[in-house]
Amino acid sequence: MLVRDIMRRPAIAVPSDTTLEAAYRTMQREGIRHLPVEDGGRLVGVVTDRDLRLATSALSPSPRPPSHPVADVMTRNPETADPEDAVEDAARTMRRKKIGCLPVLEGGRLAGIITGLDLLDAILKMTGVDKPSGRIEVRLADHPGELARLTGFFGERGLNVHSILTHPETATSVRVVLRVGSIETRRLAEELRVSGFDVVWPPEKPWPR
Amino acid sequence: MASVIYHPAYRQYSFGEHHPFSPVRVDMTLDLLRELGAPVRPIAPEPATREEILEVHADYYVRRVEALSAGEEVPDARDYGLGTPDTPAFRGMDEAARWHVGGTLAGARRLCEAGEKRVLQLGGGLHHARRNFASGFCVYNDLALGILALLRHGLWVAYLDVDVHHGDGVQQILYDEGRAMTISLHESGKFLFPGTGDVHELGTGVGRGLKLNVPLEPMTEGRSYLEVLDAVVPRALERFRPGVLVVQAGADAHFEDRLADLMLTTRDYEAVFRRILGWADAFTSGRVLFTLGGGYSFRASARVWALLYLLVHDLPVPAEIPEAWRERWRAAAGEELPARFHDPEPSGEAVANRDEITRRNRQAAERLLEAAVPYWGGR
Repeated sequence: MLVRDIMRRPAIAVPSDTTLEAAYRTMQREGIRHLPVEDGGRLVGVVTDRDLRLATSALSPSPRPPSHPVADVMTRNPETADPEDAVEDAARTMRRKKIGCLPVLEGGRLAGIITGLDLLDAILKMTGVDKPSGRIEVRLADHPGELARLTGFFGERGLNVHSILTHPETATSVRVVLRVGSIETRRLAEELRVSGFDVVWPPEKPWPR
Repeated sequence: MASVIYHPAYRQYSFGEHHPFSPVRVDMTLDLLRELGAPVRPIAPEPATREEILEVHADYYVRRVEALSAGEEVPDARDYGLGTPDTPAFRGMDEAARWHVGGTLAGARRLCEAGEKRVLQLGGGLHHARRNFASGFCVYNDLALGILALLRHGLWVAYLDVDVHHGDGVQQILYDEGRAMTISLHESGKFLFPGTGDVHELGTGVGRGLKLNVPLEPMTEGRSYLEVLDAVVPRALERFRPGVLVVQAGADAHFEDRLADLMLTTRDYEAVFRRILGWADAFTSGRVLFTLGGGYSFRASARVWALLYLLVHDLPVPAEIPEAWRERWRAAAGEELPARFHDPEPSGEAVANRDEITRRNRQAAERLLEAAVPYWGGR
Protein backbone atom coordinates (compact mmCIF):
# COMPACT_ATOMS: atom_id res chain seq x y z
CA MET A 1 0.00 0.00 0.00
CA LEU A 2 1.40 3.36 -1.04
CA VAL A 3 1.04 6.86 0.40
CA ARG A 4 -0.79 7.71 -2.83
CA ASP A 5 -3.51 5.19 -1.93
CA ILE A 6 -4.34 6.65 1.47
CA MET A 7 -3.45 10.36 1.29
CA ARG A 8 -6.07 13.11 1.50
CA ARG A 9 -6.14 15.30 -1.57
CA PRO A 10 -6.09 18.13 -2.11
CA ALA A 11 -4.48 19.20 1.14
CA ILE A 12 -5.97 22.35 2.61
CA ALA A 13 -3.08 24.83 2.93
CA VAL A 14 -2.62 28.45 3.99
CA PRO A 15 -0.01 31.16 3.20
CA SER A 16 2.53 32.06 5.88
CA ASP A 17 1.02 35.49 6.56
CA THR A 18 -2.26 33.88 7.68
CA THR A 19 -3.15 34.99 11.20
CA LEU A 20 -3.35 32.48 14.04
CA GLU A 21 -7.04 33.26 14.33
CA ALA A 22 -7.70 32.61 10.62
CA ALA A 23 -5.72 29.36 10.76
CA TYR A 24 -7.73 28.31 13.82
CA ARG A 25 -10.98 29.04 12.02
CA THR A 26 -9.88 27.06 8.97
CA MET A 27 -9.09 24.06 11.16
CA GLN A 28 -12.42 24.32 12.93
CA ARG A 29 -14.35 24.68 9.68
CA GLU A 30 -12.62 21.77 7.94
CA GLY A 31 -12.40 19.51 10.98
CA ILE A 32 -8.64 19.13 10.66
CA ARG A 33 -5.61 19.52 12.90
CA HIS A 34 -2.77 20.03 10.43
CA LEU A 35 -2.26 22.84 7.92
CA PRO A 36 0.59 22.86 5.42
CA VAL A 37 1.85 26.39 4.87
CA GLU A 38 2.57 27.39 1.27
CA ASP A 39 4.12 30.54 -0.19
CA GLY A 40 4.14 30.99 -3.94
CA GLY A 41 3.32 27.33 -4.55
CA ARG A 42 6.18 26.15 -2.33
CA LEU A 43 5.74 24.29 0.95
CA VAL A 44 7.41 26.34 3.68
CA GLY A 45 6.03 24.78 6.86
CA VAL A 46 3.30 22.99 8.79
CA VAL A 47 1.17 24.49 11.52
CA THR A 48 -0.88 22.30 13.84
CA ASP A 49 -3.68 22.90 16.29
CA ARG A 50 -1.13 22.19 18.99
CA ASP A 51 1.15 24.98 17.68
CA LEU A 52 -1.78 27.37 17.87
CA ARG A 53 -2.75 26.33 21.38
CA LEU A 54 0.81 26.59 22.70
CA ALA A 55 1.42 29.94 20.99
CA THR A 56 -1.74 31.53 22.41
CA SER A 57 -1.80 29.85 25.82
CA ALA A 58 -1.79 32.02 28.92
CA LEU A 59 0.83 29.58 30.19
CA SER A 60 3.19 30.57 27.38
CA PRO A 61 6.03 32.90 28.51
CA SER A 62 5.12 35.21 25.63
CA PRO A 63 1.56 34.53 24.40
CA ARG A 64 0.96 35.61 20.78
CA PRO A 65 -2.13 37.65 19.87
CA PRO A 66 -4.70 36.16 17.43
CA SER A 67 -3.51 38.59 14.75
CA HIS A 68 0.00 37.10 14.71
CA PRO A 69 1.08 35.32 11.48
CA VAL A 70 1.49 31.53 11.46
CA ALA A 71 4.99 31.98 9.95
CA ASP A 72 6.19 32.66 13.48
CA VAL A 73 4.85 29.46 15.11
CA MET A 74 4.91 26.89 12.28
CA THR A 75 7.45 24.09 11.89
CA ARG A 76 9.78 25.10 9.08
CA ASN A 77 11.20 22.60 6.57
CA PRO A 78 8.80 19.87 7.67
CA GLU A 79 9.23 16.18 6.99
CA THR A 80 7.42 15.20 3.80
CA ALA A 81 6.40 12.05 1.96
CA ASP A 82 6.42 11.07 -1.69
CA PRO A 83 3.23 9.59 -3.21
CA GLU A 84 5.22 6.48 -4.17
CA ASP A 85 6.50 5.89 -0.63
CA ALA A 86 5.27 2.76 1.07
CA VAL A 87 2.77 3.46 3.83
CA GLU A 88 5.03 1.73 6.35
CA ASP A 89 7.88 4.13 5.50
CA ALA A 90 5.61 7.08 6.17
CA ALA A 91 4.51 5.46 9.43
CA ARG A 92 8.13 4.92 10.46
CA THR A 93 9.03 8.56 9.79
CA MET A 94 6.06 9.84 11.77
CA ARG A 95 6.81 7.47 14.63
CA ARG A 96 10.51 8.32 14.77
CA LYS A 97 9.95 12.07 14.62
CA LYS A 98 6.83 11.88 16.81
CA ILE A 99 4.82 13.96 14.35
CA GLY A 100 1.16 13.76 13.42
CA CYS A 101 1.25 14.35 9.67
CA LEU A 102 3.32 14.34 6.51
CA PRO A 103 2.58 16.71 3.63
CA VAL A 104 2.92 14.76 0.37
CA LEU A 105 4.99 16.45 -2.36
CA GLU A 106 4.80 15.48 -6.01
CA GLY A 107 7.29 17.28 -8.27
CA GLY A 108 7.96 19.81 -5.54
CA ARG A 109 4.24 20.74 -5.29
CA LEU A 110 1.88 19.92 -2.43
CA ALA A 111 -0.24 17.00 -3.66
CA GLY A 112 -1.88 15.82 -0.44
CA ILE A 113 -1.38 15.00 3.21
CA ILE A 114 -1.45 11.93 5.43
CA THR A 115 -2.09 11.92 9.16
CA GLY A 116 -1.94 9.33 11.91
CA LEU A 117 -5.66 8.73 11.43
CA ASP A 118 -5.10 7.86 7.77
CA LEU A 119 -2.58 5.25 8.92
CA LEU A 120 -5.17 3.80 11.30
CA ASP A 121 -7.64 3.64 8.40
CA ALA A 122 -4.99 1.76 6.42
CA ILE A 123 -4.69 -0.80 9.22
CA LEU A 124 -8.47 -1.24 9.33
CA LYS A 125 -8.53 -1.69 5.57
CA MET A 126 -5.73 -4.25 5.59
CA THR A 127 -7.27 -6.28 8.41
CA GLY A 128 -10.91 -5.73 7.49
CA VAL A 129 -13.49 -8.13 6.13
CA ASP A 130 -15.23 -6.95 3.00
CA LYS A 131 -16.22 -10.37 1.66
CA PRO A 132 -17.73 -13.33 3.53
CA SER A 133 -14.72 -15.33 4.59
CA GLY A 134 -13.26 -17.53 7.29
CA ARG A 135 -9.99 -17.16 9.16
CA ILE A 136 -7.16 -19.65 8.91
CA GLU A 137 -3.90 -19.09 10.76
CA VAL A 138 -0.80 -21.10 9.92
CA ARG A 139 2.75 -21.20 11.30
CA LEU A 140 5.20 -21.43 8.41
CA ALA A 141 8.92 -22.14 8.35
CA ASP A 142 10.64 -18.95 7.22
CA HIS A 143 11.86 -20.60 4.00
CA PRO A 144 11.53 -19.69 0.33
CA GLY A 145 8.46 -21.22 -1.29
CA GLU A 146 6.51 -21.94 1.91
CA LEU A 147 3.96 -19.17 1.39
CA ALA A 148 3.58 -20.24 -2.25
CA ARG A 149 2.90 -23.81 -1.10
CA LEU A 150 0.24 -22.50 1.28
CA THR A 151 -1.56 -20.29 -1.25
CA GLY A 152 -1.25 -23.08 -3.83
CA PHE A 153 -3.23 -25.33 -1.46
CA PHE A 154 -6.20 -22.94 -1.70
CA GLY A 155 -5.76 -22.30 -5.41
CA GLU A 156 -5.95 -26.03 -6.16
CA ARG A 157 -9.30 -26.19 -4.38
CA GLY A 158 -10.75 -23.25 -6.25
CA LEU A 159 -10.86 -21.17 -3.08
CA ASN A 160 -10.39 -17.43 -3.09
CA VAL A 161 -7.92 -15.98 -0.60
CA HIS A 162 -9.26 -12.51 0.22
CA SER A 163 -6.39 -11.32 2.40
CA ILE A 164 -3.11 -12.48 3.87
CA LEU A 165 -1.32 -10.96 6.85
CA THR A 166 2.06 -12.26 7.92
CA HIS A 167 4.27 -11.35 10.80
CA PRO A 168 7.53 -12.84 12.06
CA GLU A 169 7.10 -15.10 15.10
CA THR A 170 10.53 -16.51 15.90
CA ALA A 171 13.84 -16.31 14.05
CA THR A 172 12.78 -19.29 11.96
CA SER A 173 9.00 -19.03 11.67
CA VAL A 174 6.29 -16.65 10.52
CA ARG A 175 2.59 -16.54 11.38
CA VAL A 176 0.26 -16.21 8.41
CA VAL A 177 -3.38 -15.17 8.84
CA LEU A 178 -5.52 -15.77 5.77
CA ARG A 179 -9.13 -14.86 5.10
CA VAL A 180 -10.46 -17.51 2.77
CA GLY A 181 -13.76 -17.47 0.92
CA SER A 182 -15.16 -20.53 2.66
CA ILE A 183 -17.34 -21.43 5.63
CA GLU A 184 -15.54 -24.78 5.91
CA THR A 185 -12.34 -23.63 7.58
CA ARG A 186 -12.32 -26.62 9.95
CA ARG A 187 -12.27 -29.12 7.11
CA LEU A 188 -9.59 -27.06 5.35
CA ALA A 189 -7.56 -26.99 8.55
CA GLU A 190 -7.72 -30.79 8.73
CA GLU A 191 -6.57 -31.09 5.15
CA LEU A 192 -3.79 -28.58 5.75
CA ARG A 193 -2.58 -30.65 8.70
CA VAL A 194 -2.60 -33.76 6.53
CA SER A 195 -0.49 -31.81 4.02
CA GLY A 196 2.02 -31.10 6.80
CA PHE A 197 1.09 -27.53 7.71
CA ASP A 198 1.17 -26.32 11.32
CA VAL A 199 -2.34 -24.88 11.67
CA VAL A 200 -2.87 -22.54 14.63
CA TRP A 201 -6.54 -21.66 13.89
CA PRO A 202 -9.00 -23.34 13.82
CA PRO A 203 -7.60 -25.73 16.44
CA GLU A 204 -8.46 -29.39 16.70
CA LYS A 205 -11.39 -30.00 19.03
CA PRO A 206 -10.35 -31.46 22.35
CA TRP A 207 -12.88 -34.29 22.11
CA PRO A 208 -13.47 -36.97 19.49
CA ARG A 209 -16.37 -36.36 17.20
CA MET B 1 -51.93 -23.72 18.27
CA ALA B 2 -48.83 -24.30 16.19
CA SER B 3 -48.25 -24.89 12.50
CA VAL B 4 -45.40 -26.77 10.89
CA ILE B 5 -44.38 -26.01 7.32
CA TYR B 6 -42.54 -28.65 5.31
CA HIS B 7 -42.43 -30.23 1.88
CA PRO B 8 -40.39 -33.23 0.71
CA ALA B 9 -39.20 -31.05 -2.19
CA TYR B 10 -36.95 -29.27 0.35
CA ARG B 11 -34.72 -32.33 -0.04
CA GLN B 12 -33.80 -31.17 -3.54
CA TYR B 13 -31.74 -28.40 -1.94
CA SER B 14 -28.66 -30.59 -1.78
CA PHE B 15 -25.09 -29.83 -2.81
CA GLY B 16 -23.98 -33.44 -3.03
CA GLU B 17 -23.46 -36.45 -0.86
CA HIS B 18 -20.50 -35.21 1.17
CA HIS B 19 -21.63 -31.61 1.54
CA PRO B 20 -22.37 -30.57 5.15
CA PHE B 21 -25.72 -28.90 4.33
CA SER B 22 -27.40 -32.27 4.00
CA PRO B 23 -31.16 -32.91 3.71
CA VAL B 24 -30.54 -36.04 5.80
CA ARG B 25 -30.45 -33.80 8.89
CA VAL B 26 -34.14 -32.97 8.49
CA ASP B 27 -35.01 -36.54 7.45
CA MET B 28 -33.50 -37.68 10.74
CA THR B 29 -35.41 -35.02 12.67
CA LEU B 30 -38.76 -36.02 11.15
CA ASP B 31 -38.10 -39.70 11.72
CA LEU B 32 -37.02 -39.10 15.31
CA LEU B 33 -40.26 -37.25 16.04
CA ARG B 34 -42.24 -40.10 14.46
CA GLU B 35 -40.42 -42.65 16.62
CA LEU B 36 -41.12 -40.49 19.66
CA GLY B 37 -44.84 -40.63 18.94
CA ALA B 38 -45.04 -37.01 17.83
CA PRO B 39 -45.36 -37.36 14.08
CA VAL B 40 -45.11 -34.14 12.10
CA ARG B 41 -48.23 -33.23 10.14
CA PRO B 42 -46.97 -30.33 8.09
CA ILE B 43 -48.69 -27.76 5.95
CA ALA B 44 -47.28 -28.01 2.42
CA PRO B 45 -46.07 -24.70 0.97
CA GLU B 46 -45.69 -23.73 -2.67
CA PRO B 47 -42.29 -22.80 -4.04
CA ALA B 48 -41.77 -19.04 -4.13
CA THR B 49 -42.26 -17.48 -7.53
CA ARG B 50 -39.56 -15.71 -9.51
CA GLU B 51 -41.34 -12.40 -8.82
CA GLU B 52 -41.30 -13.06 -5.10
CA ILE B 53 -37.55 -13.78 -5.21
CA LEU B 54 -36.96 -10.50 -7.06
CA GLU B 55 -38.22 -8.50 -4.10
CA VAL B 56 -34.80 -9.06 -2.55
CA HIS B 57 -32.53 -10.51 -5.22
CA ALA B 58 -31.17 -8.77 -8.31
CA ASP B 59 -32.53 -9.96 -11.62
CA TYR B 60 -29.01 -10.48 -13.02
CA TYR B 61 -28.25 -12.74 -10.05
CA VAL B 62 -31.46 -14.77 -10.37
CA ARG B 63 -30.78 -15.24 -14.08
CA ARG B 64 -27.43 -16.80 -13.25
CA VAL B 65 -28.96 -19.11 -10.65
CA GLU B 66 -31.55 -20.17 -13.23
CA ALA B 67 -28.92 -20.81 -15.91
CA LEU B 68 -26.79 -22.93 -13.57
CA SER B 69 -29.95 -24.69 -12.45
CA ALA B 70 -30.64 -25.62 -16.08
CA GLY B 71 -27.12 -27.00 -16.44
CA GLU B 72 -25.84 -24.09 -18.55
CA GLU B 73 -22.33 -22.71 -18.37
CA VAL B 74 -22.08 -19.38 -16.52
CA PRO B 75 -18.51 -18.17 -16.95
CA ASP B 76 -18.75 -15.45 -14.28
CA ALA B 77 -20.76 -17.54 -11.78
CA ARG B 78 -18.02 -17.32 -9.14
CA ASP B 79 -18.25 -13.53 -9.10
CA TYR B 80 -21.71 -14.13 -7.65
CA GLY B 81 -20.60 -16.78 -5.15
CA LEU B 82 -22.11 -19.55 -7.27
CA GLY B 83 -20.31 -22.71 -8.32
CA THR B 84 -17.84 -22.36 -5.43
CA PRO B 85 -16.68 -25.15 -3.13
CA ASP B 86 -19.14 -23.90 -0.46
CA THR B 87 -22.11 -23.31 -2.74
CA PRO B 88 -21.68 -25.57 -5.78
CA ALA B 89 -24.13 -25.34 -8.65
CA PHE B 90 -26.50 -28.26 -9.22
CA ARG B 91 -29.33 -29.03 -11.58
CA GLY B 92 -32.60 -27.74 -10.19
CA MET B 93 -30.93 -25.43 -7.65
CA ASP B 94 -33.19 -22.48 -8.52
CA GLU B 95 -36.38 -24.42 -7.86
CA ALA B 96 -34.95 -26.14 -4.79
CA ALA B 97 -34.01 -22.78 -3.29
CA ARG B 98 -37.44 -21.34 -4.18
CA TRP B 99 -39.06 -24.20 -2.24
CA HIS B 100 -37.28 -23.14 0.93
CA VAL B 101 -38.27 -19.49 0.38
CA GLY B 102 -41.84 -20.61 -0.31
CA GLY B 103 -41.89 -22.41 3.02
CA THR B 104 -40.81 -19.33 4.96
CA LEU B 105 -43.32 -17.17 3.05
CA ALA B 106 -46.04 -19.73 3.86
CA GLY B 107 -45.01 -19.45 7.50
CA ALA B 108 -45.33 -15.67 7.36
CA ARG B 109 -48.83 -16.05 5.84
CA ARG B 110 -49.91 -18.45 8.59
CA LEU B 111 -49.07 -15.73 11.11
CA CYS B 112 -50.70 -12.88 9.21
CA GLU B 113 -53.72 -14.44 7.58
CA ALA B 114 -54.57 -17.48 9.68
CA GLY B 115 -53.83 -15.80 12.99
CA GLU B 116 -51.44 -18.59 13.95
CA LYS B 117 -49.16 -17.87 16.91
CA ARG B 118 -46.31 -20.33 16.53
CA VAL B 119 -44.97 -21.48 13.18
CA LEU B 120 -42.08 -23.84 12.64
CA GLN B 121 -40.70 -23.95 9.11
CA LEU B 122 -38.63 -27.16 8.89
CA GLY B 123 -36.33 -25.69 6.25
CA GLY B 124 -35.01 -22.32 5.14
CA GLY B 125 -32.84 -20.22 7.41
CA LEU B 126 -30.52 -19.33 4.52
CA HIS B 127 -29.20 -16.25 6.25
CA HIS B 128 -25.95 -15.72 4.33
CA ALA B 129 -27.52 -15.11 0.90
CA ARG B 130 -27.05 -11.52 -0.31
CA ARG B 131 -29.00 -9.60 -2.94
CA ASN B 132 -26.55 -10.61 -5.63
CA PHE B 133 -24.24 -13.11 -4.00
CA ALA B 134 -24.55 -16.70 -2.83
CA SER B 135 -22.58 -17.48 0.29
CA GLY B 136 -22.16 -20.17 2.93
CA PHE B 137 -24.58 -22.70 1.36
CA CYS B 138 -27.27 -20.02 0.87
CA VAL B 139 -28.69 -19.09 -2.55
CA TYR B 140 -31.91 -17.15 -1.83
CA ASN B 141 -32.55 -15.37 1.45
CA ASP B 142 -35.85 -16.83 2.64
CA LEU B 143 -35.58 -14.96 5.95
CA ALA B 144 -35.29 -11.48 4.46
CA LEU B 145 -38.16 -12.29 2.08
CA GLY B 146 -40.28 -13.61 4.93
CA ILE B 147 -39.54 -10.55 7.06
CA LEU B 148 -40.51 -8.21 4.20
CA ALA B 149 -43.77 -10.14 3.79
CA LEU B 150 -44.51 -9.65 7.50
CA LEU B 151 -43.70 -5.93 7.25
CA ARG B 152 -46.16 -5.61 4.38
CA HIS B 153 -48.82 -6.95 6.70
CA GLY B 154 -47.99 -4.19 9.13
CA LEU B 155 -46.12 -6.35 11.64
CA TRP B 156 -42.80 -4.96 12.83
CA VAL B 157 -40.28 -7.76 13.03
CA ALA B 158 -37.57 -8.65 15.49
CA TYR B 159 -35.25 -11.19 13.89
CA LEU B 160 -33.19 -13.33 16.25
CA ASP B 161 -30.39 -15.44 14.80
CA VAL B 162 -28.91 -18.11 17.09
CA ASP B 163 -27.00 -19.86 14.31
CA VAL B 164 -23.31 -19.96 15.24
CA HIS B 165 -22.47 -17.86 12.16
CA HIS B 166 -23.33 -14.17 11.86
CA GLY B 167 -26.64 -13.57 10.05
CA ASP B 168 -24.88 -11.28 7.58
CA GLY B 169 -27.22 -11.55 4.61
CA VAL B 170 -30.35 -10.74 6.59
CA GLN B 171 -28.60 -7.87 8.36
CA GLN B 172 -27.26 -6.42 5.13
CA ILE B 173 -30.56 -6.60 3.26
CA LEU B 174 -32.39 -4.92 6.16
CA TYR B 175 -29.54 -2.61 7.17
CA ASP B 176 -31.51 0.62 6.64
CA GLU B 177 -34.93 -0.79 7.57
CA GLY B 178 -36.49 0.95 10.54
CA ARG B 179 -39.31 -1.55 11.02
CA ALA B 180 -37.09 -4.61 11.44
CA MET B 181 -34.63 -5.21 14.24
CA THR B 182 -32.00 -7.91 13.69
CA ILE B 183 -30.18 -9.56 16.59
CA SER B 184 -27.44 -12.09 15.94
CA LEU B 185 -25.47 -14.05 18.52
CA HIS B 186 -22.56 -15.84 16.91
CA GLU B 187 -18.97 -16.92 17.25
CA SER B 188 -16.88 -13.80 16.65
CA GLY B 189 -16.05 -13.00 13.04
CA LYS B 190 -12.44 -12.68 14.10
CA PHE B 191 -12.48 -16.46 14.24
CA LEU B 192 -15.43 -17.73 12.23
CA PHE B 193 -17.07 -17.24 8.85
CA PRO B 194 -18.36 -14.83 7.53
CA GLY B 195 -16.11 -12.46 9.48
CA THR B 196 -18.69 -9.74 10.11
CA GLY B 197 -21.08 -9.24 13.04
CA ASP B 198 -19.06 -6.90 15.23
CA VAL B 199 -20.82 -4.69 17.78
CA HIS B 200 -20.19 -1.55 15.74
CA GLU B 201 -22.38 -2.80 12.86
CA LEU B 202 -25.50 -0.94 13.98
CA GLY B 203 -27.41 -0.22 10.76
CA THR B 204 -27.84 2.99 8.78
CA GLY B 205 -30.49 5.67 8.36
CA VAL B 206 -33.73 4.86 10.17
CA GLY B 207 -32.31 1.36 10.78
CA ARG B 208 -29.50 2.77 12.92
CA GLY B 209 -29.31 1.13 16.34
CA LEU B 210 -31.63 -1.68 15.23
CA LYS B 211 -29.02 -4.11 13.91
CA LEU B 212 -27.52 -5.79 16.96
CA ASN B 213 -24.61 -8.18 17.07
CA VAL B 214 -23.08 -10.07 19.97
CA PRO B 215 -19.80 -11.66 18.84
CA LEU B 216 -18.88 -14.50 21.19
CA GLU B 217 -15.56 -16.04 22.06
CA PRO B 218 -14.70 -19.49 20.73
CA MET B 219 -15.50 -22.17 23.36
CA THR B 220 -18.34 -20.11 24.82
CA GLU B 221 -20.52 -22.37 26.99
CA GLY B 222 -24.22 -22.27 27.69
CA ARG B 223 -24.05 -20.30 30.91
CA SER B 224 -22.24 -17.37 29.32
CA TYR B 225 -24.35 -17.61 26.15
CA LEU B 226 -27.57 -17.38 28.15
CA GLU B 227 -26.20 -14.53 30.22
CA VAL B 228 -25.59 -12.29 27.18
CA LEU B 229 -28.83 -13.44 25.54
CA ASP B 230 -30.71 -12.34 28.67
CA ALA B 231 -28.75 -9.08 28.86
CA VAL B 232 -29.55 -8.01 25.30
CA VAL B 233 -32.71 -9.54 23.88
CA PRO B 234 -35.48 -8.70 26.38
CA ARG B 235 -34.21 -5.15 26.71
CA ALA B 236 -34.14 -4.68 22.93
CA LEU B 237 -37.59 -6.22 22.45
CA GLU B 238 -39.08 -4.12 25.21
CA ARG B 239 -37.95 -0.93 23.50
CA PHE B 240 -38.59 -1.99 19.90
CA ARG B 241 -42.02 -3.55 20.51
CA PRO B 242 -42.13 -5.87 17.48
CA GLY B 243 -45.30 -7.53 16.25
CA VAL B 244 -43.62 -10.84 15.58
CA LEU B 245 -40.37 -12.70 16.21
CA VAL B 246 -38.55 -14.45 13.37
CA VAL B 247 -35.96 -16.90 14.66
CA GLN B 248 -33.20 -18.59 12.70
CA ALA B 249 -32.66 -21.69 14.83
CA GLY B 250 -29.34 -22.96 13.54
CA ALA B 251 -28.13 -25.96 15.56
CA ASP B 252 -24.45 -25.34 14.92
CA ALA B 253 -23.67 -23.60 18.20
CA HIS B 254 -23.71 -27.15 19.61
CA PHE B 255 -20.38 -28.40 20.95
CA GLU B 256 -20.23 -31.30 18.50
CA ASP B 257 -20.66 -29.13 15.43
CA ARG B 258 -18.08 -29.75 12.74
CA LEU B 259 -17.84 -26.17 11.46
CA ALA B 260 -17.64 -24.03 14.57
CA ASP B 261 -16.36 -23.67 18.12
CA LEU B 262 -19.16 -22.84 20.55
CA MET B 263 -20.06 -25.25 23.36
CA LEU B 264 -23.84 -25.33 23.70
CA THR B 265 -25.47 -28.59 24.78
CA THR B 266 -29.02 -29.71 23.99
CA ARG B 267 -29.97 -28.52 27.48
CA ASP B 268 -28.66 -25.07 26.61
CA TYR B 269 -30.67 -25.14 23.40
CA GLU B 270 -33.75 -26.07 25.40
CA ALA B 271 -33.14 -23.06 27.63
CA VAL B 272 -32.67 -20.80 24.60
CA PHE B 273 -35.87 -22.01 22.92
CA ARG B 274 -37.90 -21.75 26.11
CA ARG B 275 -36.72 -18.17 26.58
CA ILE B 276 -37.66 -17.28 23.00
CA LEU B 277 -41.16 -18.70 23.42
CA GLY B 278 -41.46 -16.74 26.65
CA TRP B 279 -40.35 -13.51 24.96
CA ALA B 280 -42.87 -14.11 22.18
CA ASP B 281 -45.58 -14.39 24.85
CA ALA B 282 -44.31 -11.27 26.60
CA PHE B 283 -43.66 -8.99 23.62
CA THR B 284 -45.40 -10.25 20.44
CA SER B 285 -48.66 -11.81 21.68
CA GLY B 286 -46.98 -15.16 21.19
CA ARG B 287 -46.29 -14.68 17.47
CA VAL B 288 -43.08 -16.38 16.41
CA LEU B 289 -41.79 -17.96 13.20
CA PHE B 290 -38.88 -20.38 13.52
CA THR B 291 -36.78 -21.59 10.62
CA LEU B 292 -33.96 -24.10 10.64
CA GLY B 293 -30.43 -23.11 9.63
CA GLY B 294 -26.92 -24.43 10.04
CA GLY B 295 -26.17 -27.53 12.08
CA TYR B 296 -23.55 -29.92 10.82
CA SER B 297 -23.46 -32.66 13.40
CA PHE B 298 -26.05 -35.34 12.66
CA ARG B 299 -25.98 -36.35 16.31
CA ALA B 300 -26.75 -32.82 17.47
CA SER B 301 -28.97 -31.28 14.79
CA ALA B 302 -31.68 -33.98 14.79
CA ARG B 303 -32.06 -33.66 18.55
CA VAL B 304 -31.93 -29.85 18.64
CA TRP B 305 -34.61 -29.52 15.98
CA ALA B 306 -36.79 -32.30 17.42
CA LEU B 307 -36.49 -30.45 20.71
CA LEU B 308 -37.61 -27.23 19.02
CA TYR B 309 -40.64 -29.03 17.59
CA LEU B 310 -41.57 -30.49 20.97
CA LEU B 311 -41.25 -27.15 22.77
CA VAL B 312 -43.19 -25.25 20.11
CA HIS B 313 -46.00 -27.77 20.64
CA ASP B 314 -45.71 -27.73 24.45
CA LEU B 315 -44.87 -31.43 24.40
CA PRO B 316 -42.65 -33.08 27.00
CA VAL B 317 -39.02 -33.79 26.17
CA PRO B 318 -38.36 -37.54 26.47
CA ALA B 319 -35.29 -38.92 28.19
CA GLU B 320 -34.40 -41.67 25.71
CA ILE B 321 -33.70 -41.81 22.01
CA PRO B 322 -35.47 -44.86 20.48
CA GLU B 323 -33.14 -47.70 19.59
CA ALA B 324 -34.86 -48.21 16.23
CA TRP B 325 -34.00 -44.67 15.16
CA ARG B 326 -30.39 -45.03 16.21
CA GLU B 327 -30.07 -48.25 14.24
CA ARG B 328 -31.75 -46.82 11.17
CA TRP B 329 -29.61 -43.70 10.87
CA ARG B 330 -26.24 -44.88 12.14
CA ALA B 331 -24.90 -45.64 8.66
CA ALA B 332 -26.15 -42.37 7.14
CA ALA B 333 -24.70 -40.39 10.05
CA GLY B 334 -21.44 -42.29 9.87
CA GLU B 335 -21.22 -42.48 13.64
CA GLU B 336 -22.93 -43.87 16.75
CA LEU B 337 -26.04 -41.92 17.66
CA PRO B 338 -26.74 -40.90 21.25
CA ALA B 339 -29.00 -43.01 23.44
CA ARG B 340 -30.19 -40.10 25.54
CA PHE B 341 -32.12 -37.13 24.27
CA HIS B 342 -30.04 -34.67 26.26
CA ASP B 343 -26.28 -34.47 26.25
CA PRO B 344 -24.56 -35.36 29.48
CA GLU B 345 -23.66 -32.30 31.53
CA PRO B 346 -20.21 -31.11 30.43
CA SER B 347 -17.43 -32.25 32.73
CA GLY B 348 -16.13 -28.70 32.91
CA GLU B 349 -12.61 -29.70 32.01
CA ALA B 350 -12.81 -28.89 28.31
CA VAL B 351 -12.70 -25.11 28.73
CA ALA B 352 -9.57 -23.92 30.47
CA ASN B 353 -10.09 -20.14 30.28
CA ARG B 354 -13.79 -20.04 31.12
CA ASP B 355 -13.62 -16.90 33.27
CA GLU B 356 -11.86 -14.95 30.56
CA ILE B 357 -14.40 -16.08 27.95
CA THR B 358 -17.28 -15.09 30.22
CA ARG B 359 -15.71 -11.70 30.85
CA ARG B 360 -15.11 -11.05 27.14
CA ASN B 361 -18.67 -12.02 26.20
CA ARG B 362 -20.11 -9.84 28.94
CA GLN B 363 -17.99 -6.98 27.65
CA ALA B 364 -19.27 -7.52 24.09
CA ALA B 365 -22.87 -7.29 25.30
CA GLU B 366 -22.06 -4.16 27.33
CA ARG B 367 -20.34 -2.49 24.39
CA LEU B 368 -23.25 -3.34 22.13
CA LEU B 369 -25.81 -1.85 24.50
CA GLU B 370 -23.66 1.20 25.10
CA ALA B 371 -23.54 1.84 21.35
CA ALA B 372 -27.14 0.92 20.46
CA VAL B 373 -29.27 2.13 23.37
CA PRO B 374 -28.82 5.87 22.57
CA TYR B 375 -30.62 5.21 19.25
CA TRP B 376 -33.63 3.75 21.05
CA GLY B 377 -34.39 7.00 22.88
CA GLY B 378 -37.11 8.24 20.55
CA ARG B 379 -39.04 4.99 20.57
